[in-house]
Amino acid sequence: MTATTDTTDAETTDTDATPAAPGPGDAALAARAWMPLATDIGRWVAALVGSFVLFGLFVALRGVSPVEALKAVFESAVGDTDAIGETLVRATPLVLAALAVTVPARAGLFNIGGEGQLLLGAIGAVGASRMLDGAVPMVPTLAVMGLAAAATGAAWAGLAAVLRQVFGTNEAITTLLLNYIAGLILTWLVFEPWKDPQSLGQAYTKELDDQSRLPVLWGNRVHAGLLIAVVAAVAVWFLLSRTRWGFRLGVLGGNAEAARRAGFRVGGLSLGAMMVGGALAGLGGMTEVAGVEGRLRPEILVSYGYTAFLSSWLARHHPLHTLWAATLLGGIIVGGFGLKIATGLSGGAVEVLSALVLLGVLGFAQTGTRKAV
Amino acid sequence: MLLESVLTGAVRGGTSILYPTLGEVISERAGVVNLGTEGCMLAGALTAYAVGIETGSVWLGVVAGVVAGAVLGLLHAFMVITRRANPIATGLVVTFLALGLTALFGQDYVGQGVNAMGPVAIPGLSDLPFLGPILFDHDPLTYLSFAAAPAIWWVLFRTRAGLNIRAAGERPEVLEAFGTSPARVRYAAVVIGGALAGLGGAQLSTAFTLNWSERMTVGRGFVAVALVIFAAWDPLKAVGGAYLFSGAISLQLQLQARGWELSRYLLEAVPYLTVILVLVALSHRRRHAAPESLGRVLA
Repeated sequence: MTATTDTTDAETTDTDATPAAPGPGDAALAARAWMPLATDIGRWVAALVGSFVLFGLFVALRGVSPVEALKAVFESAVGDTDAIGETLVRATPLVLAALAVTVPARAGLFNIGGEGQLLLGAIGAVGASRMLDGAVPMVPTLAVMGLAAAATGAAWAGLAAVLRQVFGTNEAITTLLLNYIAGLILTWLVFEPWKDPQSLGQAYTKELDDQSRLPVLWGNRVHAGLLIAVVAAVAVWFLLSRTRWGFRLGVLGGNAEAARRAGFRVGGLSLGAMMVGGALAGLGGMTEVAGVEGRLRPEILVSYGYTAFLSSWLARHHPLHTLWAATLLGGIIVGGFGLKIATGLSGGAVEVLSALVLLGVLGFAQTGTRKAV
Repeated sequence: MLLESVLTGAVRGGTSILYPTLGEVISERAGVVNLGTEGCMLAGALTAYAVGIETGSVWLGVVAGVVAGAVLGLLHAFMVITRRANPIATGLVVTFLALGLTALFGQDYVGQGVNAMGPVAIPGLSDLPFLGPILFDHDPLTYLSFAAAPAIWWVLFRTRAGLNIRAAGERPEVLEAFGTSPARVRYAAVVIGGALAGLGGAQLSTAFTLNWSERMTVGRGFVAVALVIFAAWDPLKAVGGAYLFSGAISLQLQLQARGWELSRYLLEAVPYLTVILVLVALSHRRRHAAPESLGRVLA
């Protein structure tokens, strides 16, 4: 076993790049070009509908009307402008943490540490805000918080990259385990050094000052973090598809040996990819505390790192597609709140829905089945 | 006595990690990584608990937990082997599915007491000084785990079935040439791996925590996947890995109980940190121990 990267990963990302077979006539060619798209969309719809039907079945087993449950999910996620706003709010950290999966994936690396990197980013942002202590106006305060969040997130992800580079420790495993450590660091900060003396039963930190809050852009909830997420998605798309660095990451992810022979500094590229990813997830943590929560609690962003991982796969690691993929899974999270209120079922139940959509997409929505290894 | 308490706790808490680690050894020996181990455990924990309550028989519960783990293992196998989905992503999706399903179906069982699988002291042996409480005063599933590790080692390295499993992970084309389908062998290995993870979950809820709560496995299944590397894909070394992790938990709890100054939240991070550190220390030596087919996924 060598330190080579995963080839199946590269294969799945390139499914739409299947070369068209030589064929007759322009019209036929055009039709052929559209066929995969049509079947693709068909499979997508089938995956989605199938997921909702199966979910309804599970809900029915719990003795709750599936129609009522699905209605609650839909209405709370997309029922009115407030609902759509809430979905966009949930999608914001998901987009950033999904990009944190996408960038390393291009280099053939698995970042399953979104959970921890989000939390570290949130911690970094709150730490920066506490240091500035309201002495600086809003724009520089937010800039410093963003930088701090990106730095802490990048450091957390970079740790896994360095361990891989120096000791050959598998980064999927280390990023995964680091999530639990990050969660405990957050809990420690919230319960001990940063605890708001006013908080009694449920621990939380002091509320952020006004300069440290991201402005609300639309409705009551949608904050400037959404813009950060969209800009980040476009920037990552540009970085991966239009720059030399992105090209090199792609070569490394496709064939590490080729990258090495081409004289690329593989270690630096891998570390860079992971750290850029970690920085993006860190920013995601910052948008959540500065845009939504206004303080740290031990329960913030639980499961978001994993949901973001799924978003990146749902988007097949395409940076721009993560925007809608994260919105879909963010909407499902919001649907969980609605489900809980309307039916009394646990909000976590909607994770079934996310998982089923992903199963459909991972296993069935790909054009063509590849031959066995 | 600190050492005795720590080791007793290590064995008692280690069972629920040992089973999934053994399961993942089998699965990875056949060439399939299963991060869904976490989900299989969770499903096993709830199913065993719920069936234990509903039927009044904790043993029926355990059997149901094993089945639940196996079913999720089968789903993982189908996705990865038949549908050729990426194993890492699929494993996380399987875990996500289990998180959702256990949240949905486990809600009513939170806080209900199960007819617990209590410790059965082995007459005579349990009175031994030091070793007695550490090894011979546990629940039946823990005793079973003492036998399971060597038994799995024997199957893997001394039987035809084990040879097939290892061949599926190392040289599937050779297996194919001998007329055995590598896919079938892998299916079997992943399902057995899921079943063992379910068994670990069952032990966790019915004999260790005696409780069900959402997300109660808190990464034990993921730790099991990490420990397989520590164990160099060897069932006997898996025992050491499982007790190392649970020993770190047990030590940390003992230190808390003895009023250590360090924050309990930071102490709780010690077991995870321990696993990362041993993996780092061993990574270099483990690189060539991995089954060949895994190299493409778990480099």
